[in-house]
Amino acid sequence: MSKIIAVHSYKGGTGKTLLSVNLAATFAKSGKKVCVFDLDFRAPSLFAILKTPNADYWLNDYLNNTCEIDKTLIDLSSRIPGNGKFYACLANPSTEAIRDMSSKDRKWEMRALGRLLALRETLLKDQKFDYLFFDTSPGLQYSSINAIVAADFVVVATTGDRSDVDGTKRMLAELYNLFEKKTGLVLNKVLDASATAKKTEMQNKIKADYQVPMLGMVPCFCEILRAEGNLIFVQDKPDHPFTKILAEMTKKIENDEVN
Amino acid sequence: MIRNDLSNKKPLNILEKIEESLEKLNDKIEIMIEIQKNGNGNNGNNQKTSLALPDASLDVMTLLSMPDHLRKTAMVICRCSRATAEEIAEQTKRARAVESAYLNQLVIMGYLKKERKGRKAYFFIDRENQS
Repeated sequence: MSKIIAVHSYKGGTGKTLLSVNLAATFAKSGKKVCVFDLDFRAPSLFAILKTPNADYWLNDYLNNTCEIDKTLIDLSSRIPGNGKFYACLANPSTEAIRDMSSKDRKWEMRALGRLLALRETLLKDQKFDYLFFDTSPGLQYSSINAIVAADFVVVATTGDRSDVDGTKRMLAELYNLFEKKTGLVLNKVLDASATAKKTEMQNKIKADYQVPMLGMVPCFCEILRAEGNLIFVQDKPDHPFTKILAEMTKKIENDEVN
Repeated sequence: MIRNDLSNKKPLNILEKIEESLEKLNDKIEIMIEIQKNGNGNNGNNQKTSLALPDASLDVMTLLSMPDHLRKTAMVICRCSRATAEEIAEQTKRARAVESAYLNQLVIMGYLKKERKGRKAYFFIDRENQS
């Protein structure tokens, strides 16, 4: 069943973009038709990570109602092996566009929510996309909450950082629960997570702490840090443990087995 | 007048007409109940300002600040964009009459618009005309 998935976090630097791109790429590798959207309008980064050619139209234009969604989609399927389809819809990184998006009023945000919700019809139903990934900005930004409301499932990225843990707990109670959203927690940058006993112990502790289902746990990999966001990891390093962890996560999402 | 209207019609049509009239009456009663509730809270003052919010926008921050029972209804209408109380009730698993009351409340608050087409009342968010 097709889904819209928002990837969100309380703080920045938790690995949202890394997760969004690589979860989407993993699905595409398995033959799905996916699109990853950059909804971080204050600090767009997808264009740099995916190293796309300059776009003629951006997600900003679609939300401003100046073009249809088809114009904004960039086909990057050739970068992924197999028959899957991988598209990206980018946020405009120009300073002018960032300033423009920061000054939108409530009425505009309400219409933007309508445009995001309409993607269910245009992309999931009409164009048969399997998954849309919304890479959001951290915290309680309008664009992020719009993405959460429009989504079927929210991947919540968090780290062991104390302020992140507290903030994430608050968001779970005061944001996702209020909107009755299904969530899956991803604990990222975990130190010493290699031993199986330690892994199980940590997973149980996290479940007890957050009281939400866990989607997965990602150890702190030096290779990811070294890559500096320059690659689609699951594509370039197919045998890396990170790639395998992502494959497990996609399986859970696909089979609705996040628990 | 209604008697003249109905004199040449079949019994089924007459019943449908009665049902439609009762539904319209029901809507009006629900609005009166809401006005009564709000009026009591304000000791009869500022009724207009507390109820009539023609420019109210149903954005996500508004959704967050709503009471749970209204948010549930508003969330469904956000996704459907246009629906009857019965269609909303199917998704929220609450009674149609309950949803009808909540939807009318959202109309009074200025977040939704209501339109009658034949016997059915449709509720929708007028995103394009809210400026």
